[in-house]
Amino acid sequence: MGVQTPTRRGFVAGLAAGAAGLAIGFRLDARAQQAAPVGPPMLRANPKLDSWVRITPDGRIVVLTGRVELGQGVLTAMRQIAAEELDVAPARLELISGDTAETANEGVTAGSQSIKFGGEALAVACADARATLVTAAAETWGVERAALSVTDGVIEGIGGRRMTYAEAASLVSLVRPVNLAAQRKPPHAGTIIGTSLPRTDIPAKVFGQQVFIHDLRPEGMLFGAVARPPAYAARLVSLDMGWAESLPGVVKVVRDGSFIGVIARREEQANDAAHRITAAAQWRDGEAIFGGKGVFEHLKTQPALTRTIHSKDAPAAAAARTHVAEYRRGFQAHASIGASCALATFEDGRLTVWSHAQGPFPLRGDLARGLRMDPAAIRVIHAQGSGCYGHNGADDVALDAALLARAMPGRPIRVHWTHEEEMVWEPWGSAMVVKLEAAMRADGSIASWGHDVWSFPHSTRPGDRVGCNLRSAWYLENPVPPSPIVDGALPNGASARNAVPIYDFPGQRVTTHFHTAMPVRTSALRTLGGYFNAVAAEMFIDECAAIAGVDPVAYRIRHLADQRLVAVLRKAVEISFWQPRPVVMGRGNAQGARLVGTGVGMTKYKNSDSHVAVVARVSVDPATGVVKLEKMWAATEAGRAINPDGIANQIEGGMVQAASWTLLEEGRWDRNRMVSEDYHAYPIIDFDRIPPIESVLIDRPDLPSLGVGEGSQGPTGAAIANAILDATGRRVPEIPFTPERVLAALRA
Amino acid sequence: MLRITVNGRATEVDADPATPLIYVLRNDLALNGPKLGCGRAQCGACTVLVDGHAARSCQVKLGDVAGAQQVTTLEGLGTPEAPHALQAAFIAEQAAQCGYCTSGMIMQAAALLAEKRAALTEAQVAEALDHNLCRCGTQPRIVRAVMRASRQQGA
Ligand code: FES
Ligand code: FES
Repeated sequence: MGVQTPTRRGFVAGLAAGAAGLAIGFRLDARAQQAAPVGPPMLRANPKLDSWVRITPDGRIVVLTGRVELGQGVLTAMRQIAAEELDVAPARLELISGDTAETANEGVTAGSQSIKFGGEALAVACADARATLVTAAAETWGVERAALSVTDGVIEGIGGRRMTYAEAASLVSLVRPVNLAAQRKPPHAGTIIGTSLPRTDIPAKVFGQQVFIHDLRPEGMLFGAVARPPAYAARLVSLDMGWAESLPGVVKVVRDGSFIGVIARREEQANDAAHRITAAAQWRDGEAIFGGKGVFEHLKTQPALTRTIHSKDAPAAAAARTHVAEYRRGFQAHASIGASCALATFEDGRLTVWSHAQGPFPLRGDLARGLRMDPAAIRVIHAQGSGCYGHNGADDVALDAALLARAMPGRPIRVHWTHEEEMVWEPWGSAMVVKLEAAMRADGSIASWGHDVWSFPHSTRPGDRVGCNLRSAWYLENPVPPSPIVDGALPNGASARNAVPIYDFPGQRVTTHFHTAMPVRTSALRTLGGYFNAVAAEMFIDECAAIAGVDPVAYRIRHLADQRLVAVLRKAVEISFWQPRPVVMGRGNAQGARLVGTGVGMTKYKNSDSHVAVVARVSVDPATGVVKLEKMWAATEAGRAINPDGIANQIEGGMVQAASWTLLEEGRWDRNRMVSEDYHAYPIIDFDRIPPIESVLIDRPDLPSLGVGEGSQGPTGAAIANAILDATGRRVPEIPFTPERVLAALRA
Repeated sequence: MLRITVNGRATEVDADPATPLIYVLRNDLALNGPKLGCGRAQCGACTVLVDGHAARSCQVKLGDVAGAQQVTTLEGLGTPEAPHALQAAFIAEQAAQCGYCTSGMIMQAAALLAEKRAALTEAQVAEALDHNLCRCGTQPRIVRAVMRASRQQGA
């Protein structure tokens, strides 16, 4: 393909394997499959069998997935799923992922949905391919299908007959719609799913092989950087272009409205020039962020869209008392270790972009609108980046690279944001306020529950039909405005994710107060609103339990109808040797010079995914307010486990990250922009603060696989919060639980 | 032209002596191991060994290592055929998610293992790696991997 730029050192090879013209299908088959009304939704949307699995004449077995590797191990899990259904050794499969020219359009890899939806679709497609190939062999040999077996891609019959998949594929067509009714192997017949197959991407990462987008270095590549305005609202008045182009190493300066991009021979020269240009250019100032007020005040007082999105009437009963409480969380960042990066080439009117964004197809659409190009002239190919945990700068930087590449046809341009740029210009996770109210009966149980949430958007990703959600598009001479902002609807929800109670309260109400204006741009941070809604709700139920004078675990079980949640709760209690006792408000638990406490938190992520219960033990220094994590335990149930070690890695990693959010993380801003621009200003957890973690998995091979990637965040935050409540006897209503806030609560 | 020795091989580099070493390693020498993270000595992703000591290549200048110094990156530690004990241990413990921090973790740990021949404790490992950040939360696995490599080295 024209866009396959001259390569060196294996550029592209490992990253877009198969892109260069795979031979597919050998006989066109006009017999269109009657679409059955069943089958995985992802397959119904992408019904071409060859966009999921291909057998080449030379015997390669290629599996394709629209899902992309984010460090969560999804490609290893997909390999297991495909290998299981095809009866091929996992190592034999070639995988292609996230390429708009090759794979199915699976939207974004997010929301813990890859296995549940993408995995199910891939499994059915592979089951269809296997059945078709075995049937071809059976017909050729004139035997029953049931008499044949498959070992590592070779069909075997009685009397030592053998036929490879490639041979069988030459007898039929695999270029046709998928048979949506194809039957997967029954779980008990599986030998690969459910095992901890080692991650296939880890060896390359420990030997320093070319893995990341940052490692792509095509011949002739130049380096790009963007000279950012001094404030989100600032616009360019003037710039001495001649001076800018004379800066060391600069090859070209691209100005389009208030967008200024630099192309230089060396990376550090591009960055240096961009900094100097920002400082030297003349900018027109905009309005101060939040009018100079605090964000919580802004959320509570500025106009918002108020809607009650869930309600259930309680049978009339006398409430003996009510409890009301409010909780707050500031802005939090993705804070990836490697900043966002993209590589683009523009040749003969066609644009190719290598990107670590979570959704190659949605990104292509927004690139097309931002660049005012035909999407058919754009190809987006996924290459791995640093872990992103949601919508960070990955999409934005792709437009930056594309704008520069278009200004220099034929030259690959790589843009790698600086960490400061990422922290200031990426979308942040929204600040939120949650207010809870409960009507309690005389016996202390909860009759009705109300959950109000004030929030900015949690998804302003690319992927709408109009507008462009790539930041630089808003700064162009002829700007492309962002897409209309909507809050995600239930059952998944966005600002109200996990606001619907997991408990069986007779009366329930969830109301959102949604802000579409974003003085600080916000978007998806792992779990969207789920983490904070769950933390607030779980803190609140502990307070209700304390009022009722009941042990927090017993109090939860009293209100739980969902037996899967009861099972993880009991398991977490068992492995942590939970000591049943009521929490007493106003009374801490002193042990020597410290206050110690244990807390529990649990969720069913998105009210439909993994079930996770976490127990945390903390100690608090009453003199300083410093919280130390002593130990954390987790119990997880996510239906049929594809790769138990992969699940453990996600759950434990999520616990560490959530501990960091809960104890340390909060973004700050001045009148111009976010100012928490490095790891000093925005610290994240380090080795010292991470306690021992013990986690167990309850496997349910009899139930469909559920997403786990975001399952432990909410329960972990809640368990830590409740452990602090237990230790201090005081409410600390604002995350993160900094020493100052804990101390203030102790002294209140 | 400046002469530097990386992974045992001497090379001439045409760049300003004030250039941070990370750019030279990644862009001039096409090494993938050292990663550019914060660029401010805060994350450790760029860690390499200079004469056996862990150094942050975003802070070291090209001119600082020109001459007799020996720079070692992840690539110089071991290969798939002959992995360093730490590389084998990181695979065995599956001690990564995205793997962006991995090179820095391994290099920092390599310096620790080279220094301390005696059996390490988990607390010593955590202390030595405390200024290396991992956003994916794989620290518990990383500690296990370093402990495993240390036991192997002791054996
Ligand atoms: S990149 Fe050098 S310490 Fe972060
Ligand atoms: S594994 Fe992703 S940053 Fe450490």
